[in-house]
Amino acid sequence: MNIRTLLPVLLLLVLMGCTKDADQPKDDWTYDPTPYLLDYPDAFPIMQVNADNPMTEEGVNLGRRLYYDPLLHPTGQHACATCHIQEMAFTSSGSVLPHINLGWNKSFLWNGKITGTMEDIMRFEVEDFFQADMSRLEADSLYPRLYYEAFGSPHITSTYTAKALAQFFRTLISSNARYDEAFSPGSGEFPTEEEQNGYDIFFTEKGDCFHCHGGILFTDNGFHNNGLDVDPSTEGRSLVTGNPNDLGKFKSPTLRNIALTGPYMHDGRYETLEEVIDFYSEGLKLSPTIDPLMKQAHLGGIHLTTKEKSDLIAFLHTLTDTTFTTNPALGSPF
Amino acid sequence: MSRKKLLIRQQAFPLMFVCLLATMMFTTQCTKDNGTGTVTIQLDHSVAGAPLELDQLKYTSQAGHTYSVVNLKYYMSEIRLTDKNGFNVSRGNINLFDIQDPSSARIELTQIPDGDYTHLSFVFGLNEIINVDGGLPNTVENINMEWPIPGDQGYHYMKFEGRYDSLNTGTIRSFNIHTGATKGNQNYLEFTLAIPTLALRDNNWTIQLNMDLNEWLQNPTTFDFVGQELIMMNQAAQEIIKANGASVFSITSVKKT
Repeated sequence: MNIRTLLPVLLLLVLMGCTKDADQPKDDWTYDPTPYLLDYPDAFPIMQVNADNPMTEEGVNLGRRLYYDPLLHPTGQHACATCHIQEMAFTSSGSVLPHINLGWNKSFLWNGKITGTMEDIMRFEVEDFFQADMSRLEADSLYPRLYYEAFGSPHITSTYTAKALAQFFRTLISSNARYDEAFSPGSGEFPTEEEQNGYDIFFTEKGDCFHCHGGILFTDNGFHNNGLDVDPSTEGRSLVTGNPNDLGKFKSPTLRNIALTGPYMHDGRYETLEEVIDFYSEGLKLSPTIDPLMKQAHLGGIHLTTKEKSDLIAFLHTLTDTTFTTNPALGSPF
Repeated sequence: MSRKKLLIRQQAFPLMFVCLLATMMFTTQCTKDNGTGTVTIQLDHSVAGAPLELDQLKYTSQAGHTYSVVNLKYYMSEIRLTDKNGFNVSRGNINLFDIQDPSSARIELTQIPDGDYTHLSFVFGLNEIINVDGGLPNTVENINMEWPIPGDQGYHYMKFEGRYDSLNTGTIRSFNIHTGATKGNQNYLEFTLAIPTLALRDNNWTIQLNMDLNEWLQNPTTFDFVGQELIMMNQAAQEIIKANGASVFSITSVKKT
Protein backbone atom coordinates (compact mmCIF):
# COMPACT_ATOMS: atom_id res chain seq x y z
CA MET A 1 0.00 0.00 0.00
CA ASN A 2 1.56 3.26 -1.06
CA ILE A 3 1.34 6.61 0.65
CA ARG A 4 -1.30 7.89 -1.82
CA THR A 5 -3.66 5.19 -0.74
CA LEU A 6 -2.85 5.64 2.90
CA LEU A 7 -3.24 9.39 2.99
CA PRO A 8 -7.05 9.54 2.81
CA VAL A 9 -7.28 6.75 5.35
CA LEU A 10 -4.95 8.58 7.69
CA LEU A 11 -6.85 11.83 7.17
CA LEU A 12 -10.11 10.08 7.92
CA LEU A 13 -8.66 8.60 11.07
CA VAL A 14 -7.39 12.01 12.18
CA LEU A 15 -10.76 13.60 11.44
CA MET A 16 -12.59 10.87 13.30
CA GLY A 17 -10.25 11.40 16.19
CA CYS A 18 -10.96 15.12 16.17
CA THR A 19 -14.67 14.58 15.82
CA LYS A 20 -14.66 12.18 18.66
CA ASP A 21 -12.83 14.54 21.00
CA ALA A 22 -14.99 17.52 20.18
CA ASP A 23 -18.34 15.81 19.95
CA GLN A 24 -18.15 13.37 22.74
CA PRO A 25 -18.27 14.48 26.34
CA LYS A 26 -15.95 12.87 28.81
CA ASP A 27 -17.40 9.84 30.56
CA ASP A 28 -18.02 11.56 33.87
CA TRP A 29 -19.83 14.56 32.35
CA THR A 30 -23.59 14.61 32.64
CA TYR A 31 -26.25 16.68 30.92
CA ASP A 32 -29.20 16.77 33.30
CA PRO A 33 -29.88 20.46 33.92
CA THR A 34 -31.90 21.56 36.93
CA PRO A 35 -34.64 24.11 36.18
CA TYR A 36 -33.98 27.51 37.74
CA LEU A 37 -36.96 29.35 39.18
CA LEU A 38 -36.82 33.10 38.75
CA ASP A 39 -37.84 34.81 41.95
CA TYR A 40 -39.49 38.21 41.91
CA PRO A 41 -42.58 39.78 43.51
CA ASP A 42 -46.05 39.40 41.99
CA ALA A 43 -46.18 43.15 41.39
CA PHE A 44 -43.42 42.78 38.79
CA PRO A 45 -44.48 41.92 35.24
CA ILE A 46 -43.95 38.37 34.03
CA MET A 47 -40.43 38.16 32.63
CA GLN A 48 -40.26 36.74 29.12
CA VAL A 49 -37.84 33.83 28.82
CA ASN A 50 -36.95 32.52 25.36
CA ALA A 51 -38.32 29.03 24.77
CA ASP A 52 -34.99 27.93 23.27
CA ASN A 53 -33.07 29.08 26.33
CA PRO A 54 -34.87 27.84 29.44
CA MET A 55 -33.46 28.93 32.77
CA THR A 56 -31.31 26.26 34.43
CA GLU A 57 -29.03 26.25 37.45
CA GLU A 58 -26.17 25.15 35.19
CA GLY A 59 -26.86 27.90 32.63
CA VAL A 60 -27.10 30.63 35.27
CA ASN A 61 -23.91 29.46 36.98
CA LEU A 62 -22.04 29.36 33.67
CA GLY A 63 -23.32 32.83 32.78
CA ARG A 64 -22.23 34.17 36.14
CA ARG A 65 -18.75 32.70 35.74
CA LEU A 66 -18.45 34.19 32.24
CA TYR A 67 -19.61 37.59 33.56
CA TYR A 68 -16.72 37.68 36.01
CA ASP A 69 -14.06 35.97 33.86
CA PRO A 70 -11.58 38.08 31.83
CA LEU A 71 -11.00 34.96 29.76
CA LEU A 72 -14.05 36.08 27.74
CA HIS A 73 -12.02 39.03 26.48
CA PRO A 74 -9.72 38.24 23.53
CA THR A 75 -6.69 39.62 25.37
CA GLY A 76 -7.97 38.94 28.88
CA GLN A 77 -7.97 42.65 29.71
CA HIS A 78 -11.32 42.77 31.47
CA ALA A 79 -14.56 41.00 32.26
CA CYS A 80 -18.14 42.33 32.16
CA ALA A 81 -17.81 42.81 35.90
CA THR A 82 -14.82 45.11 35.50
CA CYS A 83 -17.14 47.95 34.48
CA HIS A 84 -20.29 46.55 36.10
CA ILE A 85 -19.45 46.32 39.78
CA GLN A 86 -21.96 44.69 42.12
CA GLU A 87 -21.46 47.14 45.01
CA MET A 88 -22.32 49.95 42.57
CA ALA A 89 -25.47 48.12 41.42
CA PHE A 90 -23.55 46.77 38.41
CA THR A 91 -22.28 50.01 36.99
CA SER A 92 -19.11 52.08 37.49
CA SER A 93 -18.00 55.63 36.97
CA GLY A 94 -18.61 57.15 33.56
CA SER A 95 -21.73 56.63 31.51
CA VAL A 96 -22.00 52.88 32.06
CA LEU A 97 -25.64 51.73 32.15
CA PRO A 98 -26.27 49.57 35.20
CA HIS A 99 -27.34 45.94 34.84
CA ILE A 100 -30.55 46.09 36.86
CA ASN A 101 -33.78 44.31 35.92
CA LEU A 102 -32.77 44.18 32.24
CA GLY A 103 -34.78 40.96 31.91
CA TRP A 104 -37.82 43.20 31.41
CA ASN A 105 -36.19 45.31 28.69
CA LYS A 106 -36.76 45.01 24.97
CA SER A 107 -34.24 47.60 23.82
CA PHE A 108 -30.70 47.98 25.04
CA LEU A 109 -27.85 50.50 25.27
CA TRP A 110 -28.35 54.27 25.59
CA ASN A 111 -29.59 54.63 22.02
CA GLY A 112 -31.49 51.34 21.73
CA LYS A 113 -29.06 50.07 19.10
CA ILE A 114 -30.03 46.50 19.94
CA THR A 115 -33.69 45.59 20.24
CA GLY A 116 -35.09 42.15 20.90
CA THR A 117 -34.36 39.59 23.55
CA MET A 118 -31.69 39.27 26.19
CA GLU A 119 -30.04 36.67 23.93
CA ASP A 120 -29.85 39.27 21.12
CA ILE A 121 -28.08 41.86 23.26
CA MET A 122 -25.75 39.23 24.73
CA ARG A 123 -24.81 38.00 21.27
CA PHE A 124 -23.90 41.60 20.43
CA GLU A 125 -21.85 41.93 23.61
CA VAL A 126 -19.99 38.66 23.00
CA GLU A 127 -19.40 38.94 19.25
CA ASP A 128 -19.17 42.68 18.59
CA PHE A 129 -18.38 44.47 21.84
CA PHE A 130 -15.96 41.96 23.36
CA GLN A 131 -15.16 40.15 20.09
CA ALA A 132 -14.69 37.18 22.35
CA ASP A 133 -12.47 34.35 21.18
CA MET A 134 -14.26 31.07 21.86
CA SER A 135 -11.06 29.05 21.41
CA ARG A 136 -9.75 30.60 24.63
CA LEU A 137 -12.72 29.11 26.48
CA GLU A 138 -12.41 25.79 24.63
CA ALA A 139 -8.78 25.50 25.70
CA ASP A 140 -9.73 26.03 29.32
CA SER A 141 -9.75 23.01 31.60
CA LEU A 142 -13.23 23.70 33.01
CA TYR A 143 -15.43 25.47 30.45
CA PRO A 144 -16.09 22.58 27.98
CA ARG A 145 -17.57 20.60 30.84
CA LEU A 146 -19.66 23.56 32.08
CA TYR A 147 -21.05 24.19 28.57
CA TYR A 148 -21.88 20.49 28.27
CA GLU A 149 -23.68 20.48 31.61
CA ALA A 150 -25.64 23.62 30.67
CA PHE A 151 -26.45 22.95 27.01
CA GLY A 152 -25.68 19.29 26.32
CA SER A 153 -22.89 20.15 23.91
CA PRO A 154 -19.16 20.40 24.55
CA HIS A 155 -18.92 22.86 21.64
CA ILE A 156 -18.28 26.37 22.84
CA THR A 157 -20.02 28.81 20.53
CA SER A 158 -20.88 32.47 20.87
CA THR A 159 -24.56 31.46 20.78
CA TYR A 160 -24.21 29.27 23.87
CA THR A 161 -22.07 31.95 25.51
CA ALA A 162 -24.78 34.55 24.85
CA LYS A 163 -27.44 32.16 26.15
CA ALA A 164 -25.56 31.52 29.39
CA LEU A 165 -24.97 35.25 29.94
CA ALA A 166 -28.65 35.95 29.17
CA GLN A 167 -29.67 33.47 31.84
CA PHE A 168 -27.45 35.16 34.42
CA PHE A 169 -28.68 38.64 33.40
CA ARG A 170 -32.28 37.55 34.00
CA THR A 171 -31.32 36.84 37.62
CA LEU A 172 -29.97 40.39 38.12
CA ILE A 173 -33.24 41.40 39.77
CA SER A 174 -33.52 44.25 42.22
CA SER A 175 -36.91 44.13 43.92
CA ASN A 176 -36.11 44.43 47.59
CA ALA A 177 -35.45 48.11 48.25
CA ARG A 178 -36.79 50.02 51.23
CA TYR A 179 -39.35 51.42 48.75
CA ASP A 180 -40.83 47.95 48.25
CA GLU A 181 -41.60 47.73 51.98
CA ALA A 182 -42.23 51.31 53.07
CA PHE A 183 -44.73 52.11 50.31
CA SER A 184 -46.55 48.76 50.43
CA PRO A 185 -49.58 48.92 52.71
CA GLY A 186 -49.61 46.08 55.20
CA SER A 187 -45.85 45.53 55.16
CA GLY A 188 -45.46 47.01 58.62
CA GLU A 189 -42.89 49.49 57.27
CA PHE A 190 -43.70 53.15 56.75
CA PRO A 191 -42.01 55.99 54.89
CA THR A 192 -40.64 58.97 56.79
CA GLU A 193 -42.39 62.29 56.28
CA GLU A 194 -39.58 63.38 53.93
CA GLU A 195 -39.78 60.16 51.90
CA GLN A 196 -43.56 60.49 51.61
CA ASN A 197 -43.25 64.12 50.44
CA GLY A 198 -40.67 62.99 47.89
CA TYR A 199 -43.00 60.22 46.74
CA ASP A 200 -45.81 62.73 46.23
CA ILE A 201 -43.54 64.97 44.13
CA PHE A 202 -42.28 61.97 42.14
CA PHE A 203 -45.69 60.45 41.42
CA THR A 204 -47.65 63.62 40.58
CA GLU A 205 -47.23 66.19 37.84
CA LYS A 206 -45.55 68.37 40.48
CA GLY A 207 -42.23 66.64 39.83
CA ASP A 208 -43.57 64.48 36.99
CA CYS A 209 -40.73 61.98 37.31
CA PHE A 210 -43.04 58.98 36.90
CA HIS A 211 -43.98 59.33 33.24
CA CYS A 212 -40.45 58.24 32.26
CA HIS A 213 -39.29 56.58 35.47
CA GLY A 214 -42.54 55.18 36.85
CA GLY A 215 -44.09 51.81 37.52
CA ILE A 216 -42.60 49.04 39.58
CA LEU A 217 -39.53 48.98 37.29
CA PHE A 218 -38.96 52.76 37.57
CA THR A 219 -38.46 53.08 33.82
CA ASP A 220 -40.80 53.27 30.83
CA ASN A 221 -38.22 51.50 28.65
CA GLY A 222 -38.57 54.45 26.26
CA PHE A 223 -36.35 57.09 24.67
CA HIS A 224 -36.63 60.77 25.50
CA ASN A 225 -34.88 64.10 25.04
CA ASN A 226 -35.04 65.33 28.62
CA GLY A 227 -33.78 68.84 27.87
CA LEU A 228 -30.06 68.56 28.54
CA ASP A 229 -28.91 70.75 25.65
CA VAL A 230 -30.13 73.63 23.48
CA ASP A 231 -28.63 71.89 20.49
CA PRO A 232 -29.11 68.19 21.10
CA SER A 233 -26.15 66.18 19.96
CA THR A 234 -26.37 63.89 16.99
CA GLU A 235 -25.86 61.01 19.38
CA GLY A 236 -28.75 59.11 20.77
CA ARG A 237 -31.73 57.42 19.25
CA SER A 238 -31.45 59.29 15.92
CA LEU A 239 -28.17 57.47 15.21
CA VAL A 240 -30.19 54.26 15.15
CA THR A 241 -33.41 55.43 13.49
CA GLY A 242 -32.02 58.10 11.18
CA ASN A 243 -35.03 60.21 12.20
CA PRO A 244 -34.16 63.85 12.99
CA ASN A 245 -37.11 63.87 15.41
CA ASP A 246 -35.09 61.47 17.56
CA LEU A 247 -32.13 63.83 18.04
CA GLY A 248 -31.00 63.95 21.64
CA LYS A 249 -33.22 61.04 22.73
CA PHE A 250 -31.73 58.51 25.13
CA LYS A 251 -33.06 55.53 27.02
CA SER A 252 -34.75 56.16 30.39
CA PRO A 253 -32.64 54.17 32.84
CA THR A 254 -34.29 52.55 35.84
CA LEU A 255 -34.09 54.63 39.00
CA ARG A 256 -33.80 51.54 41.19
CA ASN A 257 -30.48 51.92 43.07
CA ILE A 258 -30.07 55.39 41.57
CA ALA A 259 -28.15 56.63 44.62
CA LEU A 260 -25.45 54.06 43.77
CA THR A 261 -25.22 54.49 40.01
CA GLY A 262 -23.73 57.97 39.49
CA PRO A 263 -22.47 59.83 37.62
CA TYR A 264 -25.70 60.54 35.80
CA MET A 265 -27.05 61.08 32.25
CA HIS A 266 -25.82 59.34 29.08
CA ASP A 267 -22.57 61.28 29.22
CA GLY A 268 -22.11 61.17 32.97
CA ARG A 269 -22.22 64.98 33.19
CA TYR A 270 -23.71 65.11 36.71
CA GLU A 271 -21.80 63.67 39.64
CA THR A 272 -24.50 63.81 42.30
CA LEU A 273 -28.25 63.42 42.69
CA GLU A 274 -28.33 67.03 43.91
CA GLU A 275 -26.96 68.19 40.56
CA VAL A 276 -29.53 66.06 38.74
CA ILE A 277 -32.44 67.50 40.73
CA ASP A 278 -31.12 71.04 40.22
CA PHE A 279 -31.09 70.34 36.48
CA TYR A 280 -34.73 69.20 36.44
CA SER A 281 -35.70 72.07 38.72
CA GLU A 282 -33.98 75.00 37.01
CA GLY A 283 -31.67 73.80 34.25
CA LEU A 284 -33.88 72.47 31.43
CA LYS A 285 -33.04 73.61 27.89
CA LEU A 286 -35.66 73.93 25.17
CA SER A 287 -34.86 72.28 21.85
CA PRO A 288 -36.94 71.17 18.86
CA THR A 289 -37.01 67.53 19.97
CA ILE A 290 -37.49 68.02 23.71
CA ASP A 291 -40.02 65.51 25.00
CA PRO A 292 -43.52 66.95 25.48
CA LEU A 293 -43.45 65.37 28.93
CA MET A 294 -41.00 68.16 29.89
CA LYS A 295 -43.96 70.50 30.15
CA GLN A 296 -42.20 73.15 32.19
CA ALA A 297 -39.08 73.38 30.07
CA HIS A 298 -40.08 76.84 28.86
CA LEU A 299 -39.84 77.91 32.52
CA GLY A 300 -36.46 76.21 32.91
CA GLY A 301 -37.89 73.37 35.00
CA ILE A 302 -40.23 72.37 37.78
CA HIS A 303 -38.86 74.91 40.31
CA LEU A 304 -38.72 72.92 43.50
CA THR A 305 -37.91 74.50 46.86
CA THR A 306 -34.81 73.42 48.76
CA LYS A 307 -37.02 71.33 51.04
CA GLU A 308 -38.82 69.70 48.11
CA LYS A 309 -35.47 68.85 46.53
CA SER A 310 -34.16 67.18 49.66
CA ASP A 311 -37.45 65.30 50.13
CA LEU A 312 -37.25 64.03 46.56
CA ILE A 313 -33.68 62.86 47.14
CA ALA A 314 -34.78 61.14 50.38
CA PHE A 315 -37.38 59.29 48.31
CA LEU A 316 -34.80 58.32 45.66
CA HIS A 317 -32.66 56.80 48.42
CA THR A 318 -35.54 54.40 49.25
CA LEU A 319 -34.81 52.74 45.89
CA THR A 320 -31.43 51.46 47.10
CA ASP A 321 -31.50 47.68 47.43
CA THR A 322 -28.54 46.42 49.44
CA THR A 323 -29.71 42.81 49.21
CA PHE A 324 -29.07 43.20 45.46
CA THR A 325 -25.62 44.74 45.85
CA THR A 326 -24.50 42.14 48.42
CA ASN A 327 -26.26 39.00 47.19
CA PRO A 328 -23.50 36.35 46.97
CA ALA A 329 -25.42 34.53 44.22
CA LEU A 330 -24.84 37.55 41.99
CA GLY A 331 -21.22 38.06 43.07
CA SER A 332 -17.97 36.72 41.69
CA PRO A 333 -17.57 32.93 41.75
CA PHE A 334 -13.78 33.33 41.75
CA MET B 1 -63.50 -4.73 -15.87
CA SER B 2 -65.13 -7.84 -14.48
CA ARG B 3 -68.85 -8.08 -14.20
CA LYS B 4 -68.69 -8.32 -10.41
CA LYS B 5 -66.82 -5.04 -10.06
CA LEU B 6 -69.21 -3.34 -12.43
CA LEU B 7 -72.11 -4.54 -10.35
CA ILE B 8 -70.63 -3.11 -7.23
CA ARG B 9 -70.09 0.19 -8.99
CA GLN B 10 -73.64 0.28 -10.21
CA GLN B 11 -74.94 -0.50 -6.76
CA ALA B 12 -72.57 1.86 -5.05
CA PHE B 13 -73.45 4.89 -7.13
CA PRO B 14 -76.87 5.64 -5.63
CA LEU B 15 -75.52 4.96 -2.13
CA MET B 16 -72.60 7.36 -2.65
CA PHE B 17 -74.95 9.95 -4.08
CA VAL B 18 -77.22 9.73 -1.07
CA CYS B 19 -74.25 10.00 1.29
CA LEU B 20 -72.93 13.04 -0.56
CA LEU B 21 -76.33 14.68 -0.49
CA ALA B 22 -76.69 13.95 3.21
CA THR B 23 -73.22 15.39 3.91
CA MET B 24 -74.03 18.51 1.92
CA MET B 25 -77.31 18.97 3.72
CA PHE B 26 -75.62 18.41 7.05
CA THR B 27 -72.88 20.91 6.26
CA THR B 28 -75.38 23.51 5.06
CA GLN B 29 -77.41 22.93 8.19
CA CYS B 30 -74.27 23.42 10.32
CA THR B 31 -73.37 26.66 8.55
CA LYS B 32 -76.86 27.96 9.04
CA ASP B 33 -76.89 27.16 12.74
CA ASN B 34 -73.31 27.87 13.77
CA GLY B 35 -71.92 30.36 11.23
CA THR B 36 -69.43 32.80 12.69
CA GLY B 37 -67.00 35.34 11.39
CA THR B 38 -64.38 37.83 12.51
CA VAL B 39 -65.14 41.50 12.72
CA THR B 40 -61.97 43.58 12.66
CA ILE B 41 -61.96 47.14 13.92
CA GLN B 42 -59.22 49.10 12.19
CA LEU B 43 -58.31 52.34 13.97
CA ASP B 44 -57.40 55.40 11.91
CA HIS B 45 -56.37 58.83 13.14
CA SER B 46 -56.79 62.23 11.58
CA VAL B 47 -56.52 65.90 12.41
CA ALA B 48 -59.25 68.09 10.88
CA GLY B 49 -59.97 65.33 8.39
CA ALA B 50 -56.40 64.80 7.15
CA PRO B 51 -54.47 61.64 8.09
CA LEU B 52 -52.37 62.21 11.21
CA GLU B 53 -48.67 62.91 10.67
CA LEU B 54 -46.49 62.79 13.76
CA ASP B 55 -44.05 65.55 14.74
CA GLN B 56 -45.45 68.09 12.26
CA LEU B 57 -46.09 71.52 13.77
CA LYS B 58 -48.83 72.26 11.27
CA TYR B 59 -52.20 71.68 12.87
CA THR B 60 -54.38 74.49 14.18
CA SER B 61 -56.48 74.25 17.31
CA GLN B 62 -59.72 76.17 17.68
CA ALA B 63 -57.96 78.24 20.35
CA GLY B 64 -55.60 79.44 17.60
CA HIS B 65 -52.42 77.52 18.39
CA THR B 66 -50.33 75.74 15.82
CA TYR B 67 -49.61 72.30 17.25
CA SER B 68 -48.01 68.94 16.57
CA VAL B 69 -48.74 65.43 17.79
CA VAL B 70 -45.80 63.53 19.25
CA ASN B 71 -47.37 60.65 21.14
CA LEU B 72 -50.77 58.96 21.28
CA LYS B 73 -51.82 55.99 23.39
CA TYR B 74 -55.27 55.03 24.63
CA TYR B 75 -57.42 52.18 25.89
CA MET B 76 -60.68 50.95 24.41
CA SER B 77 -62.67 48.36 26.35
CA GLU B 78 -66.16 46.83 26.59
CA ILE B 79 -66.20 46.54 22.79
CA ARG B 80 -69.62 45.23 21.69
CA LEU B 81 -71.57 44.60 18.51
CA THR B 82 -75.36 44.85 18.71
CA ASP B 83 -77.65 43.19 16.17
CA LYS B 84 -81.00 44.42 14.88
CA ASN B 85 -82.81 42.55 17.67
CA GLY B 86 -80.75 44.25 20.36
CA PHE B 87 -78.59 41.18 21.02
CA ASN B 88 -75.09 42.11 22.24
CA VAL B 89 -71.87 40.25 21.41
CA SER B 90 -68.63 40.99 23.25
CA ARG B 91 -65.30 39.17 23.13
CA GLY B 92 -63.90 40.98 26.14
CA ASN B 93 -61.23 42.83 24.14
CA ILE B 94 -59.30 45.55 25.92
CA ASN B 95 -57.11 47.33 23.39
CA LEU B 96 -54.16 49.58 24.14
CA PHE B 97 -53.50 51.62 21.02
CA ASP B 98 -49.93 52.92 20.70
CA ILE B 99 -49.09 55.15 17.73
CA GLN B 100 -45.60 53.59 17.71
CA ASP B 101 -47.04 50.08 17.21
CA PRO B 102 -49.15 49.73 14.02
CA SER B 103 -50.38 46.27 15.09
CA SER B 104 -52.24 47.89 17.98
CA ALA B 105 -54.55 49.66 15.48
CA ARG B 106 -56.19 46.34 14.64
CA ILE B 107 -58.78 44.88 17.02
CA GLU B 108 -60.12 41.46 16.07
CA LEU B 109 -63.48 40.34 17.41
CA THR B 110 -63.47 36.63 16.68
CA GLN B 111 -66.23 33.99 16.57
CA ILE B 112 -68.99 36.55 16.06
CA PRO B 113 -72.23 34.71 15.29
CA ASP B 114 -73.99 35.36 11.98
CA GLY B 115 -76.38 38.26 12.20
CA ASP B 116 -77.30 41.73 11.04
CA TYR B 117 -75.30 44.09 13.22
CA THR B 118 -76.46 47.65 13.55
CA HIS B 119 -74.28 49.19 16.26
CA LEU B 120 -70.70 49.21 17.56
CA SER B 121 -70.29 50.21 21.22
CA PHE B 122 -67.21 50.65 23.37
CA VAL B 123 -65.84 52.39 26.41
CA PHE B 124 -63.08 54.91 25.71
CA GLY B 125 -60.80 54.26 28.67
CA LEU B 126 -61.68 51.71 31.35
CA ASN B 127 -64.76 51.38 33.52
CA GLU B 128 -64.64 51.52 37.33
CA ILE B 129 -64.39 47.73 37.64
CA ILE B 130 -61.20 47.49 35.57
CA ASN B 131 -59.75 50.88 36.42
CA VAL B 132 -58.25 49.96 39.77
CA ASP B 133 -54.61 49.44 40.69
CA GLY B 134 -53.61 46.08 39.22
CA GLY B 135 -56.91 45.85 37.30
CA LEU B 136 -55.15 45.02 34.03
CA PRO B 137 -52.66 42.21 33.31
CA ASN B 138 -49.25 43.00 34.74
CA THR B 139 -47.43 43.79 31.50
CA VAL B 140 -44.70 46.38 30.95
CA GLU B 141 -47.09 48.19 28.55
CA ASN B 142 -49.93 48.40 31.08
CA ILE B 143 -47.56 49.41 33.87
CA ASN B 144 -46.41 52.32 31.70
CA MET B 145 -50.04 53.50 31.62
CA GLU B 146 -50.48 53.46 35.41
CA TRP B 147 -52.11 56.51 37.01
CA PRO B 148 -50.11 56.70 40.23
CA ILE B 149 -51.45 60.00 41.59
CA PRO B 150 -51.79 59.53 45.37
CA GLY B 151 -55.47 59.09 46.22
CA ASP B 152 -56.43 58.01 42.69
CA GLN B 153 -56.49 54.57 41.08
CA GLY B 154 -55.96 52.74 37.85
CA TYR B 155 -54.51 53.75 34.51
CA HIS B 156 -54.24 56.62 32.04
CA TYR B 157 -57.11 56.28 29.56
CA MET B 158 -55.26 58.40 27.02
CA LYS B 159 -51.87 60.01 26.55
CA PHE B 160 -52.18 62.61 23.80
CA GLU B 161 -48.96 64.62 23.77
CA GLY B 162 -47.50 67.25 21.52
CA ARG B 163 -46.03 70.71 21.13
CA TYR B 164 -47.67 74.04 20.42
CA ASP B 165 -46.73 77.55 19.43
CA SER B 166 -47.39 79.76 22.41
CA LEU B 167 -48.26 82.78 20.16
CA ASN B 168 -47.16 85.60 22.39
CA THR B 169 -43.64 84.51 23.22
CA GLY B 170 -42.70 82.73 20.02
CA THR B 171 -41.47 79.73 21.96
CA ILE B 172 -42.63 76.16 21.52
CA ARG B 173 -44.28 74.63 24.53
CA SER B 174 -45.59 71.16 25.30
CA PHE B 175 -49.01 69.81 26.16
CA ASN B 176 -50.01 66.50 27.76
CA ILE B 177 -53.67 65.61 27.49
CA HIS B 178 -53.62 62.73 29.94
CA THR B 179 -57.09 61.51 30.84
CA GLY B 180 -58.11 59.18 33.62
CA ALA B 181 -60.06 58.95 36.86
CA THR B 182 -59.30 61.77 39.23
CA LYS B 183 -60.73 62.91 42.54
CA GLY B 184 -63.51 60.32 42.46
CA ASN B 185 -64.60 61.11 38.89
CA GLN B 186 -64.36 58.17 36.51
CA ASN B 187 -64.16 60.26 33.32
CA TYR B 188 -64.40 57.37 30.86
CA LEU B 189 -66.56 57.78 27.77
CA GLU B 190 -69.19 55.42 26.37
CA PHE B 191 -69.80 55.29 22.63
CA THR B 192 -72.57 53.66 20.61
CA LEU B 193 -72.09 54.21 16.87
CA ALA B 194 -74.54 53.12 14.18
CA ILE B 195 -73.13 50.73 11.55
CA PRO B 196 -74.49 51.16 8.00
CA THR B 197 -74.73 47.46 6.98
CA LEU B 198 -72.99 44.51 8.54
CA ALA B 199 -74.66 41.30 7.42
CA LEU B 200 -72.41 38.64 8.91
CA ARG B 201 -72.93 35.32 7.09
CA ASP B 202 -70.03 33.05 7.93
CA ASN B 203 -67.63 35.71 6.61
CA ASN B 204 -65.29 38.43 7.84
CA TRP B 205 -65.85 42.17 8.04
CA THR B 206 -63.73 45.23 8.74
CA ILE B 207 -64.98 48.40 10.37
CA GLN B 208 -62.78 51.47 9.88
CA LEU B 209 -63.09 53.61 12.99
CA ASN B 210 -61.52 57.05 12.82
CA MET B 211 -60.46 59.33 15.69
CA ASP B 212 -60.10 62.99 14.74
CA LEU B 213 -57.72 64.50 17.28
CA ASN B 214 -58.84 68.08 16.64
CA GLU B 215 -62.24 67.18 18.08
CA TRP B 216 -60.71 66.71 21.55
CA LEU B 217 -59.90 70.43 21.42
CA GLN B 218 -63.31 71.78 20.32
CA ASN B 219 -67.02 71.12 20.11
CA PRO B 220 -68.61 72.10 22.36
CA THR B 221 -65.81 73.77 24.35
CA THR B 222 -62.59 75.27 23.03
CA PHE B 223 -59.67 73.67 24.84
CA ASP B 224 -56.73 76.06 25.19
CA PHE B 225 -53.35 74.44 25.90
CA VAL B 226 -52.21 77.54 27.77
CA GLY B 227 -52.51 76.88 31.48
CA GLN B 228 -53.77 73.35 30.79
CA GLU B 229 -50.52 71.71 29.77
CA LEU B 230 -50.82 69.21 32.62
CA ILE B 231 -54.30 68.08 33.60
CA MET B 232 -54.08 64.83 35.56
CA MET B 233 -55.40 66.47 38.73
CA ASN B 234 -57.52 69.08 36.95
CA GLN B 235 -61.08 67.77 36.88
CA ALA B 236 -62.41 70.87 35.09
CA ALA B 237 -60.05 70.18 32.18
CA GLN B 238 -60.94 66.46 32.27
CA GLU B 239 -64.63 67.46 31.95
CA ILE B 240 -63.92 69.59 28.86
CA ILE B 241 -61.98 66.80 27.17
CA LYS B 242 -64.68 64.29 28.08
CA ALA B 243 -67.46 66.45 26.64
CA ASN B 244 -65.48 67.23 23.47
CA GLY B 245 -64.75 63.51 23.12
CA ALA B 246 -68.34 62.77 22.07
CA SER B 247 -67.50 63.81 18.49
CA VAL B 248 -64.00 62.35 18.05
CA PHE B 249 -64.99 58.96 16.63
CA SER B 250 -66.68 58.20 13.34
CA ILE B 251 -67.15 55.05 11.32
CA THR B 252 -65.69 55.67 7.87
CA SER B 253 -66.36 52.33 6.23
CA VAL B 254 -67.81 48.88 6.84
CA LYS B 255 -66.66 46.23 4.37
CA LYS B 256 -66.75 42.51 3.84
CA THR B 257 -63.13 41.29 3.78
